Amino acid sequence: MRLALTIGALVILAIHGAVFYNQFFHDWERHQTAYFDQARGLAKTDAERAAVADRSPRIEQHIILNFGEERVDRCTTCHIASDDPRFEKYAHPLKSHPYSAALGDYQKGARSERRHKFSEFGCTVCHDGQGRGLEPEYAHGNDEYWPTPLLGSVIQANWRHKYDSFLKGKVFMEANCAQCHTDDNFAGTATVRRGKDLFFSKNCFGCHRIEGLSDGTIGPDLTEAGTKFKVDYLWESIDDPRANSATSVMPRYNLPSDDIRAMVIFLKSRKGSNLGETALQRFRLHQAGGAELIQTTVKPVTVAPGRERDAGENLVKDRHCTACHKLGPDDGGIAPDLTYEGLIKDSAWLQTHFENPRSREPDSNMPGFRYTTAEFGAMSMYLAGLKTLPSVGSPAETYKNLCERCHGEKGDGQGKIAIYLDPYPRDLTKAGFMNSKSYDRLVKSIREGIGGTSMPAWGNILNDQQARAVLDYVLTTFTKEPRRELKARTVPASNPVASSADSIARGQAMFVQRCSGCHGTKADGKGPNSVDIQPRPRNLRNSFFVNSLDDHRLFESILYGVQGTAMPPWIDYGLSNNDVGDLVNFIHSLNVPPAKTAQREVREGGSNAGSN
Amino acid sequence: MSTLTRTLKGLPGNIWSSIFRNPLPQNDVERSATSFTNFFLHIHPVKVHKNTLRPIYTLGLGLFSLFLFVVLVLTGILLMFYYVPSTAQAYNRMLDLRGSVAFGTVLRNMHRWSAHGMVAVVFLHLCRVFFTGSYKRPREFNWVIGVVLFLLTLFLSFTGYLLPWDQLAFWAITVGTSIAGYAPVIGEQLRFLLLGDVNVGQEALLRFYVLHVAVLPAILTLLISIHFWRIRKDGGLSRPAEAEVRPALVVSAPGAPVTVKAVALEPNKTYGLQGLVRGPLVKTGNVPDQSVFSWPNLLLAELFVFVVTLSIILVLALVFDAPLEEPANALHPPNPAKAPWYFLGLQEMVSYSAFWGGVGVPGIYVLLLMITPYIDRSTKGVGKWFSKERLLANTIFLTFLLVNLGFIVIGTFFRGPNWSFVTPW
Repeated sequence: MRLALTIGALVILAIHGAVFYNQFFHDWERHQTAYFDQARGLAKTDAERAAVADRSPRIEQHIILNFGEERVDRCTTCHIASDDPRFEKYAHPLKSHPYSAALGDYQKGARSERRHKFSEFGCTVCHDGQGRGLEPEYAHGNDEYWPTPLLGSVIQANWRHKYDSFLKGKVFMEANCAQCHTDDNFAGTATVRRGKDLFFSKNCFGCHRIEGLSDGTIGPDLTEAGTKFKVDYLWESIDDPRANSATSVMPRYNLPSDDIRAMVIFLKSRKGSNLGETALQRFRLHQAGGAELIQTTVKPVTVAPGRERDAGENLVKDRHCTACHKLGPDDGGIAPDLTYEGLIKDSAWLQTHFENPRSREPDSNMPGFRYTTAEFGAMSMYLAGLKTLPSVGSPAETYKNLCERCHGEKGDGQGKIAIYLDPYPRDLTKAGFMNSKSYDRLVKSIREGIGGTSMPAWGNILNDQQARAVLDYVLTTFTKEPRRELKARTVPASNPVASSADSIARGQAMFVQRCSGCHGTKADGKGPNSVDIQPRPRNLRNSFFVNSLDDHRLFESILYGVQGTAMPPWIDYGLSNNDVGDLVNFIHSLNVPPAKTAQREVREGGSNAGSN
Repeated sequence: MSTLTRTLKGLPGNIWSSIFRNPLPQNDVERSATSFTNFFLHIHPVKVHKNTLRPIYTLGLGLFSLFLFVVLVLTGILLMFYYVPSTAQAYNRMLDLRGSVAFGTVLRNMHRWSAHGMVAVVFLHLCRVFFTGSYKRPREFNWVIGVVLFLLTLFLSFTGYLLPWDQLAFWAITVGTSIAGYAPVIGEQLRFLLLGDVNVGQEALLRFYVLHVAVLPAILTLLISIHFWRIRKDGGLSRPAEAEVRPALVVSAPGAPVTVKAVALEPNKTYGLQGLVRGPLVKTGNVPDQSVFSWPNLLLAELFVFVVTLSIILVLALVFDAPLEEPANALHPPNPAKAPWYFLGLQEMVSYSAFWGGVGVPGIYVLLLMITPYIDRSTKGVGKWFSKERLLANTIFLTFLLVNLGFIVIGTFFRGPNWSFVTPW
């Protein structure tokens, strides 16, 4: 017992020793002692000698009240020589802060004077980091939790090392210069300006909201990106949007690292509010919204009557549609090819699509840009006039030209823009599906397209013979399996159950019970099982798609299933024609009537369609 | 002159003996007197049963809890000198504690780890008392007080959790208080009463601060005093019954009031107040028994527990820094937002059913714990770990214990974003 007590007491004593040692022998004291020793050696005049003679180590701090919340910057406790020009050549932390004309420093007689005096500005206003910390790990922000680590000089413990080499450099400091120097043309914030230009030229503003700049709603709000995200996260999210969020629909732009850096610096400068604006200005920004917001940066163009097509061409070019779309040689690699748009869509379709992209394709990924109706009109006119037929060569060339971008080189539906399309392009290698549909129907799909999806009607480009040749090419190259005779199926030609409130209610009950696992209770194709299913379950609220099907096809798909997909033949699970009739009536009740989708004026087709 | 010299010479000794009434005790009378006449020692009995001093019996858990509480009070008071319960300043004060306040890091670490430790040790103490059947007559109500003390410890730790005002604090309290909101009828009001607002904010911080530094410690101190007082009055710690059975003892008939049993021991003695003490522990004269003098046996044991407690906490405080995450931000919930570890079992249950997991089941647990001594009336198996007579009770308790530990482990290590199941490796 006594031995144990002695040991315990010794442990307590030893730890107290360690605690006291940590408390009284700080690194910063060593730095300060070294500085005083050096400064005494360097002192040439009496005044200089007097200045260091009676100094002893202590915590130095600047309390800054003029820039946002109170800042307590104790950085000069270690960086004690930061304002002593004699220490220009010393190593950190005893190095003096450089004097530079770019920072506004000037000569006053023989002395250099700072424009941004540390006593007035502190350190963290420009450098970020945690002014209260006295240990490098905390002060510089290597602490993984500290939200605003030093800009552009340290690598954080948890930074993604893949991007290490990009994240250093003085240029990152511009993000904080822009907190006060808000003028776009200020020379010291050229990179911020460049990032801002990219934000518009890459059409980021179509999806992302930044208060006072843009009001996109598809992507996350970036108003406070500078305080929310660290540089490594921003860099990664721009370089590879799906690295952090596997379900991100943000396109991968494959930007050069200089562009990414400019955008990171621009985003890092967006802190919700900056130090250059007044409360009143903030209030006005809050109130402003909508088109006028964008128009401060993307200036509206007056379209001269009779010159719509030329104006449209310029607009399509100036507004960077090819950041996503393909148009001739320019390919953004994200959205459909517009090269033959005039042969596929008419100007009315384009106009409605511009004004509300989801009015024509309920699951479209395209942002609604807030341009003027006249601008949209001109752009529609221009695109609708693109009627140059491609030179139709061999079926293989045609496939490469027209189909490959979505359906992929291997015909597996994994073309380069496939992940941005909803529904995904059909996997043409799935023999189960391809061989369960009649040859004529497949030709029809090629020539007339699929309603409400990105599959266009190629009828104006490929005649029946050419379409068949392409289909043959697909069947022999990708599907490979020889075609079989289709089994005769007994399917009613039209719905035997008349639509009524009762029938719809029965249909809904059955839908929730049988179908909602995949198609979702809202029938938007987003049921709990849908994530594991390829191809994805249909969005049955896509009126353009649903209305393009006759009852016969709906019955066939439900009763006999869709081969090559997860849709089972419900006739095996005991559904009668009347049950299916109820289901079909329920599905139709979710969608606008066919007459409306046939008219192209519809603005809000499938208005309830899934949110993405 | 000689009087003055004598006075001066005797001065140190006189002062000393006026403060400490007894010299270091050399014999039994002095040992008794020391315990009796010293304010700090007179909470102890003069003699304690040997069983009380068996480390393997108590594991010192009650004392551990007490000393952790003492450490918490002392470090807490020191921390109060620096802390400001304001959303604008609290986090900055944490940074100051970590950065520039002398001994700030060590104080905060000690406070943090003692708080977690106290929750764990108090619970282990509760388990010890259950597994040794020590809650039985006449200690039923002391057990109830003990359960209340455990709940208060949880609440004290929980209220302290918010004070650093970082993301960890903010979201743990948001989750924790929303569990309170699942109570039927009064749930939302209860939550509002706790937070002073619909969200965790300045009002909540102030309320939690006052609860944490004033209200709850005061109640806890009072209840701890009663807890200890009752241990003395109930005749010390529980111990196996056989040690009591001595031929001389006349056991009063069942059902008869336990009056002056002690008189039966040695009829020719008269009794003062001590005779009113219930239970069979009243010792007078030099009755052959199993007890030893508190000085030095009990005191050394207590000192030992104290030294061990302090050593462990100091080592922890030196090696592990108390966590401090980003400043609280109501707009950016972490995914998943987790309650403090001791509430993660609740949060895990809440993920199955909000009402039953958050209020129903824990309410039933507390109720069951409190009425246990009134249901389990058998006096067999007291004072023995896992005695055969208590197989049923211990098995039931152990089952509940393991199930809840399981929930806590799942909630802590196996729950990822959106509370989906993840493996920690």
